[in-house]
Amino acid sequence: MTAISPPRAPSTPPPPPPPPRRRGWNSTGLTRLRREGAIAPIAAFAVFFVVYVIINPELLTRFQLQTASNLVVPLALVALGQLVVVLVGGIDISIGAVMSLCNVVFATQLLTLPVPVAILLAVLVGLGCGLFNGFLVAYAGLPAIAVTLASAFIFGSLAREVLDRPGGGVTKEIYLATSGELLPFVPVALVWLAVIAVGLWLLLQRTALGRHIYGVGSNMESVRAAGINARLTKLLAFGLAGVLTSFGAMMLASSTVTGDPRSGDPYLLSSIAAVALAGAAFTGGRGSIIGTILAACTLGLIGNLLFFAGVNSYWQYVISALIIVAVVGLPVVWRRVAFRVKGIRS
Amino acid sequence: MSTPTPAPPIATGASTASASAPQTAPPDARPAAPPADALLVATDLVKSYGPVKAVQGVTFHCNPGEVLALVGENGAGKSTVAKMLAGAVTPTSGTIIVGGEPLASGSVKQSRLSGVRCAFQELALVPDWTVAENLSLPDGAPLRGFSQKKSVAAASALLSAFDLPHIDPRAAVGTLSLADRQLVEIARALAGKPRLLILDEASSALTPPGVQWLFTRIRELTAAGGSVIYVSHRLGEIAEIADRGTVLRDGQVAGEFVRGGWTDDELISLMAGREAERFFPDPPERTTDAVALSVTELRSEGLDGVSLSLGAGEILGIGGLQGHGQAELLRALFGAAPAVADEWTIAGRRIKGTTPVRSVRHGLGYVPEDRKREGLALEMSVGENLLAPWLKAYQLGGRPRLAMERGWIDGILSALSVRTRGSNELAGSLSGGNQQKLVFGRWMDRSRTVILLHDPTRGIDVRAKQELYGAIVDLAKQGVGILWFSTEVEELVHVCHRVVVLYQGKVADELTGGRLTADAIVGAAVGSTGSISLTTDEEDLR
Repeated sequence: MTAISPPRAPSTPPPPPPPPRRRGWNSTGLTRLRREGAIAPIAAFAVFFVVYVIINPELLTRFQLQTASNLVVPLALVALGQLVVVLVGGIDISIGAVMSLCNVVFATQLLTLPVPVAILLAVLVGLGCGLFNGFLVAYAGLPAIAVTLASAFIFGSLAREVLDRPGGGVTKEIYLATSGELLPFVPVALVWLAVIAVGLWLLLQRTALGRHIYGVGSNMESVRAAGINARLTKLLAFGLAGVLTSFGAMMLASSTVTGDPRSGDPYLLSSIAAVALAGAAFTGGRGSIIGTILAACTLGLIGNLLFFAGVNSYWQYVISALIIVAVVGLPVVWRRVAFRVKGIRS
Repeated sequence: MSTPTPAPPIATGASTASASAPQTAPPDARPAAPPADALLVATDLVKSYGPVKAVQGVTFHCNPGEVLALVGENGAGKSTVAKMLAGAVTPTSGTIIVGGEPLASGSVKQSRLSGVRCAFQELALVPDWTVAENLSLPDGAPLRGFSQKKSVAAASALLSAFDLPHIDPRAAVGTLSLADRQLVEIARALAGKPRLLILDEASSALTPPGVQWLFTRIRELTAAGGSVIYVSHRLGEIAEIADRGTVLRDGQVAGEFVRGGWTDDELISLMAGREAERFFPDPPERTTDAVALSVTELRSEGLDGVSLSLGAGEILGIGGLQGHGQAELLRALFGAAPAVADEWTIAGRRIKGTTPVRSVRHGLGYVPEDRKREGLALEMSVGENLLAPWLKAYQLGGRPRLAMERGWIDGILSALSVRTRGSNELAGSLSGGNQQKLVFGRWMDRSRTVILLHDPTRGIDVRAKQELYGAIVDLAKQGVGILWFSTEVEELVHVCHRVVVLYQGKVADELTGGRLTADAIVGAAVGSTGSISLTTDEEDLR
């Protein structure tokens, strides 16, 4: 700092790298994962996977791997959609209905239209549903839970209007392209999930829009005061969620080889549960993609595990509940204990 | 390390403001016509929120290369004016002209594009973003690549260019200290090389070296032709940095001043508008040595071993800059935040820890920081809000209960002269000062041993303040121990028996008798051992 000089351009010698803070502070992706609450769900999945393989080593056969992925991938995609809405501080009650609607649109359009057009239509329907919710939430200022609850009824009725009983024109080729095997031991569904997840990760972590989405959830007022269009960000987040949901719907229609206007209903609570299990903050601003995917895998496979363990499948909900409470509760308990220990030590 | 030699604090005329003719007018001169090359001309700005007029017809201008101070008391409308300039608030009427063109109002982005940047007191950083993200994200279109690496590199270049190498660009802003957050906020505003920089109480958490850092940046900016609007109520800083100033009172321009043409007293009476402002009651004589509350080595989040004891009938002030543990201390003592202490007694009874429910039972009362969020149920009636701590789940509520307690409620309302239409009016429809009286009044005449006050006079008008002072002194006369955190040093100096100053979660100093002066409190608050004067120039601040 010297005497009066015009503000220096950053042509000054490059700054020395800041001194390493304690414990690799902020320096790794691990810190980001921890900040986004993903450590607990990742650990939970690891434990769950080991237990699963011990109880049922058959999982690692080609057939079971394929059916298991077909089971969890739609849930994982819908959970990612839910995650994006939760990141901006909302919640999407209509996500199951949007899924049903996209599912039947996809299945029925396959009867008459070429496959790419049917896909495009389904994605557009998902986008439209998301933007409808997003507009009411972001620009009309209505609470997300009320808006999406209302639109859930609308989208659900539309789905039944499009197709009132399971059916549609999903063909074997489509099944193979989405739910078959790419290579031995590599189910296609997992590949699609990976592609979409990486794309979403790039969008959320490597574009300004993605960071805005996190920022809007973290502190809407700050983001606005910084001159960012917070409403548009919210609207786009809802639209993005709709698109992700439509992907999940198409994966579901393909793997079951039918369109079904009720197929999305169970995914509403499961998607919220997966986001909760992923350690995301329901006030917004915090949540990780990998955590959500692994949480969805855990929740999606509990039913299978209990089947193989010979437990009545009604228990699957109780077990899911216990896992959620344990994974979400452990960090809270941990913080309390750490605080006590610190107090005793000092 | 040498800083540019500042113009002496009391100089004649406006030294760097080339355009403004040397004015010798007294501080209460009416606004002069703006010169033709003024960078900013604000004319008749009005902002009303429903029936409340926050700003009513403010006119001022700012010349290129000039530092214009905007001063006034809390609630005078300074922040609203600053936000209107920054585009965060749309004026109800009035015009803002920047560099000859009208400012597109109501959009922060538009203001930024016209070269107006604002550093808000605490508003505009996203806590979950890293420093680098906060510095780089607000610029540019949303659909564009974002690289953590590049933004970190850009941020560290920027931070080192601004002489802030101690801030880690990869740290989440939420983990930084309040002072560092303000530095980041200022750096972000400076990064755009603005034509007009608005600093809205931007120095409120800065230490003296931090303030000097800020002044160096301001001088760099003005030397390059930029202008600065410096919103503050710290007269010492204004004496040093401001070329001209505009005083706001009750949303109107109360007067203007130029560098050197004013004294502290003139400015204060201009800001306050009446001599009565300076009236503080004396603390009452103490009649007993009984101890109402004592803790040793109280530890909690943000508190690093605080020991203090409060006598019955004593008014003990808590001083210090924001974020040094005052809020945490009160919350911990009331049990609103977990805390442990080696020894902890209330009215002689030893306790191990406490919760709000137990605290009320032990005889504590608490007036929290944010009356709207923590203090009141705004959708409930005045009477129910007064009764809030005394309602048990199994007791009567609603109108029957209000009728039973009529005597007490009316007593409190008239003792504090709460201006309300009656005990059934909604608390939310009262003015700020009257709401504050409710939060305070619920503890009166309820045989309390200790009352914890978190800045109860913040943002309320002068009359309400004096009524609260009177009530506080009356409570102390009745033998209640008062623990009073205030951000207004004058209150601590005049109304308290004793003042404890916190610095970084510890007791920095305890001041009584002759040592209890404003300078001593401020000195201890910034961590210096001796007493310093805020109104002198920078040699003393080292």
